Amino acid sequence: MSLTLRFVVRRVGWAFVVAWFAISVTFAMVVAIPADPAKALLGPHATEETIKRVQEHYCLDRGFAGQYACWMSNVVHGDLGESYRTKRPVTEILAERIGPTVMLALAAIFLQIVIGVPLGIIAAWRKGQWPDRAAGLVGLIGQSAPPFFVGTLVLYLFAFRLGWFPISGYGSGLLGHVRHLVLPAMTLATVGIALYARVTRSELIDSLGEDYVRTARAKGVRERDVLLRHALRPALGPLVTLIGVDLGVLVGGAVVVEYIFAWPGLGREVLAGIFALDLPLILGVVLISAFAIAIANLFADLAYLWLDPRLRDR
Amino acid sequence: MLLALAACSPPSAGPKYEAAGAQTPHRGGTLRFAVRDTIPTLDPTVAYDEISYFALRLLWEPLLDYAPGSAVLVGRLAERWEVTENATTFHFWLRADSRFSDGTPVVAADVKFALERALRTPDSPFSQWLGDVTGASEVIANKAPHCAGISTPNERELVIHLEHPNAGFLYTLAAPFTAPQRESHVAAVGADVRRTPLGNGPYMLDRWSEGERFVVTRNPVYSGAQPAYPDEIEMLEGVARDTQFMMLEQGELDTAYRLAAPDLMWVKAQPRWRSYVKTSTMMNTQGFRFDVTQKPFDDVRVRRAFNYALDRAHVAKLLVGAALPAHGMLPPGVLGRDETLQPYPHDIAKARALLGEAGYGTGLEVELVTIADEDATKLAESFQADLAEVGVTMHISVVAFSVYLTALGKRGGPALAYAGWLGDSPDPTSFLDAKFASAAISDDASPNDSFYANPKLDGLLDAARTDGDSNNRIRLYNEAERVLADDPPWVWAYHEATNEVSQPYVKGMAPSPVWIRDFSTVWLDLDEHGERVER
Repeated sequence: MSLTLRFVVRRVGWAFVVAWFAISVTFAMVVAIPADPAKALLGPHATEETIKRVQEHYCLDRGFAGQYACWMSNVVHGDLGESYRTKRPVTEILAERIGPTVMLALAAIFLQIVIGVPLGIIAAWRKGQWPDRAAGLVGLIGQSAPPFFVGTLVLYLFAFRLGWFPISGYGSGLLGHVRHLVLPAMTLATVGIALYARVTRSELIDSLGEDYVRTARAKGVRERDVLLRHALRPALGPLVTLIGVDLGVLVGGAVVVEYIFAWPGLGREVLAGIFALDLPLILGVVLISAFAIAIANLFADLAYLWLDPRLRDR
Repeated sequence: MLLALAACSPPSAGPKYEAAGAQTPHRGGTLRFAVRDTIPTLDPTVAYDEISYFALRLLWEPLLDYAPGSAVLVGRLAERWEVTENATTFHFWLRADSRFSDGTPVVAADVKFALERALRTPDSPFSQWLGDVTGASEVIANKAPHCAGISTPNERELVIHLEHPNAGFLYTLAAPFTAPQRESHVAAVGADVRRTPLGNGPYMLDRWSEGERFVVTRNPVYSGAQPAYPDEIEMLEGVARDTQFMMLEQGELDTAYRLAAPDLMWVKAQPRWRSYVKTSTMMNTQGFRFDVTQKPFDDVRVRRAFNYALDRAHVAKLLVGAALPAHGMLPPGVLGRDETLQPYPHDIAKARALLGEAGYGTGLEVELVTIADEDATKLAESFQADLAEVGVTMHISVVAFSVYLTALGKRGGPALAYAGWLGDSPDPTSFLDAKFASAAISDDASPNDSFYANPKLDGLLDAARTDGDSNNRIRLYNEAERVLADDPPWVWAYHEATNEVSQPYVKGMAPSPVWIRDFSTVWLDLDEHGERVER
């Protein structure tokens, strides 16, 4: 087995450990909330007898260990249980919601890369001059503006006042999805664009001070080639890690953005689940999230190996 | 630049479309509206929320329903019914022409199956609604396959016998879970019953992208009394309230409800929108509930003082008029509401005097538990200021709704808490027996979460529940209201009103005090091609 393959197998094994740990901690946190999911499900009109029936039905009448054993015994058989609120298998809900969420996450990361990286390159290239200061200002605003504010603002401007995009929803057909995707993806990408620009700028400035860049310049390589071919590639390493982390986190659900734009993804689903104390659903989303972060990080590390061949022998 | 660009486009100060000018209701068009939450399920046996009810009431027709815009029962699947004088036997005759949307006839056994399914299903919230039916407890406990108190003498007759008289039971049979379900269909679709409805209502499911869009089309075999004017009805799910209003202004929705206070204020200020706002009081009561077993609220003088302290007129103002000051638990339209009673006046001197008599003349410190809700927060903060005027310092604790629900019904829970109650039906039992009868007290999940026990009130409620004569019931409930006003377990604040803003071409909208929204008489005044007419 090659070193790389062994690395992949070990990391996938770790992904399972991380996922188990994440859902166990979440389970403990939700059970520790001084609230009864049966009561949350049945509402204020429920009698004690009805509540007891529902508690028995969902193993909620047992202590922490009993509830955990009841749930885990199903999980190891591949059954994540049934949502309390919708009576629907959690696996079915996750399968339906993951598509829109991944679409949104990929679109946001695409925007972060295609806008954030060039901004960072320009800022590094014109360090200390007005393009650098302008990019810094854009970055500062992007990183400071919370998604609920940006989301509401772009919704109001571009959808309501200017009518360029639909106000809300998911649309139908590829074009419909894309039209509905633009504003939520822009909102979600705002912070990332600023971050990617800053990271690219600082890594590129470091990289431009390296000996091999000086050598390239001394050999008469054109400035554009120095920047894009010699300095940029090593500067992209940390960015790859960032993309890996972002992808994982975004797949876990962009709660606020999905809520504002009525985007039917995991984030909006888990929000409804949290309000209803829908434990199986919350755990299902955490499970997906944990795996997404672990797998995305694995890909980021593999990309790192590709970018920096020196690491392959370690 | 963008801000400037947006500022250049004029704000909409009125509807983009207008009515085509038809004088009589007619069929056609798609009615589009949105809701903030999503539909959890289309299975009537377990669906128990406002949004699911919007959907289920289009798909099914139970034995009874309320006349549009009122709380008066009318027959739907039942063409007539009789109730014995002692309110223990309810006999229904079903319409002969009612059919499920697949064309098969509806028979009495389908209603019996629906009722028994609610008893058998462990997570159905409705088993308790049928608790008075003879033999119901055996079915709930899995000791009997069928309920002895529900019989079907023939395909068109259904008889329900109660163990204990209950004059309010008739209202139960307007709830969606009592609508007919065909046993073979439920067995065939299994767990998919939550998204495979087979109903007998005016519409049938066309498509449902869960969490996004629910669309129904007219049921071609429906022969009931509801006109079902729109060809299609489309409900968008999970759309935030302010977004719904933007969509309405842009013409993407035909009607929107429960507008946020700023939007409501704005729309009421626009001359071209104002006449399209409808407000109606709902079957609910808002206020604060005391745990009357805990100090200082075990003293009726303190409870009265708190009632005198609340400035109800100010609360109504804060809620942009969407609130009717309350004198008690029963909202307008509920049988037995005593219209001669007045809400406690805002009387600071009286409140101070009562607190002084109770030994709290030098001040009192209390904690209020409430939920993170816009209206509940306004109410709590307004009350906090009112109490400060009478020397009471109130600390506000905001908790998640699930935590609040669990804490309230437990003995020794919060002594003072925000309270809101939406009756399951317009019968007074759904308000008074549920919240204040001593039989509704339990230790862990007490529906009577004030832990209020008053033998005089119990006597009045028992007598009223078992009396088949509505005049007697009115007299008894009037008396019960006076008992509660004198010995208040709540600070009665207001009855909430809901608002609905519709496009000018949406006609016949009659907000229901029970269902909140009722689309059964709505029609769309569109042009001859079925298009909306632009202004």
